Amino acid sequence: MSEPLDLLWPRAAGARWLPLGRDQVMLLLAAVSEALSGLDAGLAHHAGTTMRGAAWVPVVFGPLAGAVLLVAGLVAFRRRTLASLLATVVFAASIVVGVSGAWLHLGRTVLPAAPPGQRILLDFFFAAPPVLGPLAFAFIGVFGTSAAWVESPAGSGRLVLPGRLRLQLPYPKTNAYFYVTAAGVLIALVSSVLDHAATGFADAWLWIPTAGGVFAMVVATALGMIEQPTRADLWTYVGAMVLLLAIGALGAALHLRLDLGPGGQIVPERLLEGAPLMAPLLFSNMGIVGLVALLPDHPAPASATIPLAAPAARPSSDG
Amino acid sequence: MRQGRVLVAGLVVTLGVIALAVVVRAIGRSETPVRPGTIDALATSRDACVTCHRKTSPGIVEQYGHSKMASASVRCQDCHEVKDGYPGAVAHEGTFVLAQPTTAMCARCHQNQVAQFQQSRHGLPAYVAYAGANGLTKGQLAEYRSIPEGSFAPDQSRNALAVLEGERITHFACATCHAIGAPAADGSSGQCWRCHMRHEFSLEQARKPETCNACHIGPDHPQWEIYVESPHGIAYHTGGDRWHWDAKPGTLTVRDFPAPTCATCHLSGFGSQGTTHDVGDRLTWYLFAPVSERRPAWEDNRTRMQSVCRTCHNQNFVQDFYEHADAATEAVNGFVRESQGIMAGLKADKLLTPAPFDEPIEFTAFETWHHYGRTAKFGTWMQGPDYAQWHGAYEVVKGLAELRAMEKELRAHHTNE
Repeated sequence: MSEPLDLLWPRAAGARWLPLGRDQVMLLLAAVSEALSGLDAGLAHHAGTTMRGAAWVPVVFGPLAGAVLLVAGLVAFRRRTLASLLATVVFAASIVVGVSGAWLHLGRTVLPAAPPGQRILLDFFFAAPPVLGPLAFAFIGVFGTSAAWVESPAGSGRLVLPGRLRLQLPYPKTNAYFYVTAAGVLIALVSSVLDHAATGFADAWLWIPTAGGVFAMVVATALGMIEQPTRADLWTYVGAMVLLLAIGALGAALHLRLDLGPGGQIVPERLLEGAPLMAPLLFSNMGIVGLVALLPDHPAPASATIPLAAPAARPSSDG
Repeated sequence: MRQGRVLVAGLVVTLGVIALAVVVRAIGRSETPVRPGTIDALATSRDACVTCHRKTSPGIVEQYGHSKMASASVRCQDCHEVKDGYPGAVAHEGTFVLAQPTTAMCARCHQNQVAQFQQSRHGLPAYVAYAGANGLTKGQLAEYRSIPEGSFAPDQSRNALAVLEGERITHFACATCHAIGAPAADGSSGQCWRCHMRHEFSLEQARKPETCNACHIGPDHPQWEIYVESPHGIAYHTGGDRWHWDAKPGTLTVRDFPAPTCATCHLSGFGSQGTTHDVGDRLTWYLFAPVSERRPAWEDNRTRMQSVCRTCHNQNFVQDFYEHADAATEAVNGFVRESQGIMAGLKADKLLTPAPFDEPIEFTAFETWHHYGRTAKFGTWMQGPDYAQWHGAYEVVKGLAELRAMEKELRAHHTNE
């Protein structure tokens, strides 16, 4: 695949106006996402009131992971290997935190001592803590790892792991980002459907994240599968990601409107217990990740397009 | 075609998924939703407590099996089991348990709720009103005095009737309700389960006015009867079966409760108010007192209550109601003050014995404020006209007339002697 941004915006081909490369932006995004996910978990777990035991883990881990990643970013200027190792450890831990959290939440949807046939019912998923919520940490772990492991040579799908290990992907890293984006949208989508299921989807607004999420997920997956996307494909993808951004912002605004008291008064309890303010922003987060995936891999100024997929790099014929 | 392949794929799959979702939803509408609380989460449990108590006290196991706490994997041991030497613990089947878990146990998960409850009239002041402050630990006494109702003079001493009737009676009478604020051996105070009944701990049960009815009924505080007579009670009795009794706390709106119950006005998070477990948090007067006084920070309390009222009523209505109800409260205060003046004069002139409740006039004076004065005020504030009037103010005026006559008779009798 040629440089997506160049195909999208031929007039700016070769221009390198960002001080950071794609992976660096992704890592920065991962650091912020870790901290925000910790905050979200704190709100959802009622930090400071009824929170006990394992519920503290994501609340503490999120900001801590964010801070360590920022430090790793600074370390990277001098010792890239150490920074990569540090980031890899944090992201591995993030995956563990996410999967463990999902497992614990899943446990609340199971009544092991209930009569057979009533131990796991679909309705429990609507009433229990969001099963997929914690997977946000796992998702950050995956896309962060993708960013931390440098692709060399560019477009080869060959990732350099800490300890000089190599991992050969079946596709270039750019495509991997599209798949990761699709996976993240899927998490946001299913989470949204489960969270809204208790309402019976009677409100027409609830169909917007459902339809928009499916669309964006399919588009991201399709783009990952296509070796040579056209301009139209890329613009469809950009449209889908912008749609995700809008869905997230709209969702947060609608949740806020639901949570405000009469006359628009702010009632802390309603903000904590009512429609979760930050949950819809997962869609926006995916939109940002998806758009960042289109950025050039190299921050340094260059006079010509840098081919990402070395063996397959050729100008698009139908741009 | 190649130009729009991603767009077409995206749209086709999106439409397919939405169509599928609509079909699933249409089928789903015919089914009754199942909630964890409707299923016995302990049906096949092999837990030692469950297994044994299913034989010895099956009722509580049945109740707990249908509770949200059981479905959230909270075990019997989590609330009952304590370490050896824990105050109030008893040895039980190789371990140590509290027969009735104290608020200290509840606070391990519900810290804020317990703290609010303990700072309320439902805390130690309820207990002291019938049992007195004797026997409270130093810490409990400090806690009692920190509660607004604890610092209010008429409530600091034990009701003389409780002494007169004795423990054999009060155990089944006063204590049943006033133990809601009873101190525990571990230094904590109060009994959450008086409102959140064991072992189902159902939101619906705690929110329904019948729960408050257990104590707030009868001649001295007929809130239940007044509520039933009020427009709010009529709305509850006609449409309450359609209200969302299990709605998540902190998310309640008029869609869940189109009219209020006791809990909606006094405790629930509603309108612009958060949930509280302090029943006095939204009250402006000490209505239970013989002569009602304003509560500390009553303006703040009034703002909180009025913001709940404002969910359904406009500000003019609410303000007008408060002005009239304040005036009615002052009027009842005036009658009661006169009755207190009569009694104080008789005591000062030594025309009454020092012992309480040994002469008919003392019962008349007591009933004038304790039954009828309170009823008139409660009837006023809760919109029960028959209780404001015939069961309340009328009886106050009548009692006052009787007191005047009795005073006259006592003084005449004394002069003749």
